[in-house]
Formats: sequence, structure tokens, C-alpha cells
Amino acid sequence: MIAIEGLTKRYGTRTVLDGVSLNVPGGSICGLLGRNGAGKTTTFRCSLRLAHPDAGDARFDGEPLRTATFERLGYVPDRPSLYPWLTVEQHLCLASRAYRSYDGARARELLATYCLDPADKARALSRGQETALSLVLAFAIRPALLLLDEPTGGLDPLLQRATLELIIDAASNGASVLFSSHAVGQLERAADRVAVLRDGRVVLAGDIEALRAAEKIVEATFDDGVFRSDVPALQGVRRWEHAGAALRAYTERDPDAVAAALARAGARSVRVLDRNLEDLFMDAIAGESPR
Amino acid sequence: MPVLFAIDPRSGVPIYLQLTDQLKRAVAVGALAPGERLPTVKALAVQLTLNPNTVAKVYRDLEREGIIETAPGRGSFVTGNGTVDKTRVVASEVAQRAVREAVREARALGVPREELRGLVDAEIARWFPEDET
Repeated sequence: MIAIEGLTKRYGTRTVLDGVSLNVPGGSICGLLGRNGAGKTTTFRCSLRLAHPDAGDARFDGEPLRTATFERLGYVPDRPSLYPWLTVEQHLCLASRAYRSYDGARARELLATYCLDPADKARALSRGQETALSLVLAFAIRPALLLLDEPTGGLDPLLQRATLELIIDAASNGASVLFSSHAVGQLERAADRVAVLRDGRVVLAGDIEALRAAEKIVEATFDDGVFRSDVPALQGVRRWEHAGAALRAYTERDPDAVAAALARAGARSVRVLDRNLEDLFMDAIAGESPR
Repeated sequence: MPVLFAIDPRSGVPIYLQLTDQLKRAVAVGALAPGERLPTVKALAVQLTLNPNTVAKVYRDLEREGIIETAPGRGSFVTGNGTVDKTRVVASEVAQRAVREAVREARALGVPREELRGLVDAEIARWFPEDET
């Protein structure tokens, strides 16, 4: 269980995190979404005390972060922190000394999965290979807690898939996974919950299926392009939107009833649109002021 | 499992419904035979890169509907008893959903009722030619 509570971080007068709270129970994968600069990386860094939060903290399985937590916590930072002059093998060697939970056989498998050559120096690695080595180090301790800051960045499609498989495998074994990415479609498959950050605040959070089910769009087109003023006051319609000859109703329940009512009101055509995670994300970050 | 599943996260249809329908369809057409063992939740989640909780929910739903059975420690299997009947019911359900979608779409496009009926009859005549007298 990862429980982030009220994380706040200011740099001078700029507030980059403003009371960020989120929970990731065991066996759950939470996608952390947000535009560049929304505060995703700072959330990871403050949770792990790599940056000092002005308020709030993160608890892991109910406990504050302590040295022992790192025995079961895998972290992949957005910029891999490797030693350029050491080889891949030497990185593994360091990890094997630092962590009692380090599993050498598992590390070998992971090296093969990511096609890494143990003899390569870190400075010779490509961006994707650096991420891959970070992933090998994170997964080699069979972590129950995973904090992954864009873990598929720079990876080719096959290795992105391999990484998703590792994440899903870990969650199947009960791990809590917090996973930031810009690949919304990938997150939608792999994650069961999501948190969207905007300007350092959580603007949307929860179970993905529940969020998707909570709102549908009923779109109606009227023949004369004129909306009747007597469009019925419909139950459960959160807002109306006019777009050309179409009228869109954002509804929280029973879209079929709304569709039927619009048809009775004289709409020529009516359709119910389901919303995917990308739609919800775009809505949540809409109107963001450019930095 | 030799069955292929195509899950499209961009589609508005919830992922668990997509997987539920495709598993039902596989049972209905016999691609998953009665008594056949299903992959574990974990194996299917990894194979399809889907959230394990989503796959677990699909299995629970199929179990509740009696389409699969789970024997503790042995895994999940396509239900064996009375499967011919079950298969018909499942096939009918899957077909009904497809028809409902088609009718809804035709309605959205403003196709009149009689014209739609004609379209459906023409498709039936095309795919069930032996029924024509």
C-alpha cells in the first residue's frame, strides 16, 4: 500500500505540489497522468524524500519511509541515476551488496529480457538502455512497492511491452504500483486506477472503470439546426454543450433515457458516446493556463 | 489458449466488457470447448497487458453466469454440464448485443424503420439462403 497524503512543495513563491493525496492498495496499478510540469516527478521525489516536501508525506504499508522500506521498494526515476564509469555488471554488483532482497538469478533474467550486455559501461548506454538498466535494478529485488516515473520512456515497443508485463506480473503478486506515463492507451489497459495532476493538484482520481461509467455523452442533431427552447429538463444531465447543429448532453446516469427523451423532443439523430481515459484526461486538464 | 483477443483501449467500450464478450464469443463458437482450462488471471493479464483486477472481474462475472467454473487450486474451466444449452444462450446474447448496436446506429443515422427492416431482411436472406422458399 502506497498512501500519499497532502504532499505540498514550494520552490520560492511557486507552488509545484498543492496537497497531493493518493492511495495505491496492494495488487493495484495507479496511473499518474499530467502534462509536463504538472508535478508528477516532484510527487515521486517528495514521496521518497529525494526532495523535501513543505507539508504532507508518503506512507508505505502504513509506515513512514525508512531505510528498510528500500528492501521492497523499486524506484525508476525519470532521469536514470547511474554511474557513467561503471559497467552494467558493476551496477548489479552494487545492488547485490546494497539490498538483502536482491535476487541475482532474477537480475540475469531481466538483463536478458532487456538485451543488456553486462560488460557495457553505463555511459555507452542509449537513453532507452539506461531506463532498461534502472528497471532491471528496480525489479531485481522483487519489490512489493513500485514507483515508476515514465518507465517506458525511450524503450522500443517490444521492451515497452515487456515492461508492462513485469508491472502486471508484480501487481498480480500483490504489489502496489504507481506509474507515470504519457502513453494514455497503455495506462488504460494496465492500470485500474488513475490520478490526474494539473498545476500540482489532483484534479481527477479514482477507479478507471467507475470514472468512465460515471459520464457519457448523448449527442443529438436537430433538423433545422435550431434547438428547441423546450429541451426537457432532464434528470442526470450535468451540462449541455452546443456544437454546430449538434447538442451534447453530459450525463451521469441512464444515457439511454436521455437519448430517448431527445428523440421525443424531435432530434433527427441521437447517439450515445462512451468516453475513454484519454477523453477524461483531456477534460480534466482542459483550460490549463500555459506556463 | 489458441483464442486471440483484440482489446482496444481507445474504444469507448469498457475493457472488461470487451474481454467478457470475446470470451463468451469464444465459448459460443466452440473455440473454447467445454471442460477446457482457461489461463490463470495472472497469465491472461500478462499476455494481454491488462490490469489483473480487470481480468479477475471478468472471470468472476463469467463464473456467476455459469459459463466458467473455478476449482480451487486447479484453475478455471469452461463449464461442462448442459453446455449445449448454455452455448446457445451465450450465442444469442452476443448476437443480441450486436443487433442492438446496429439498430441504434441506424436510428442515429436517421434510417426509417421500414428501410431498416428491409436491410435486415436482405442480410438474413444473404446469410441464411437455405431458409428461402
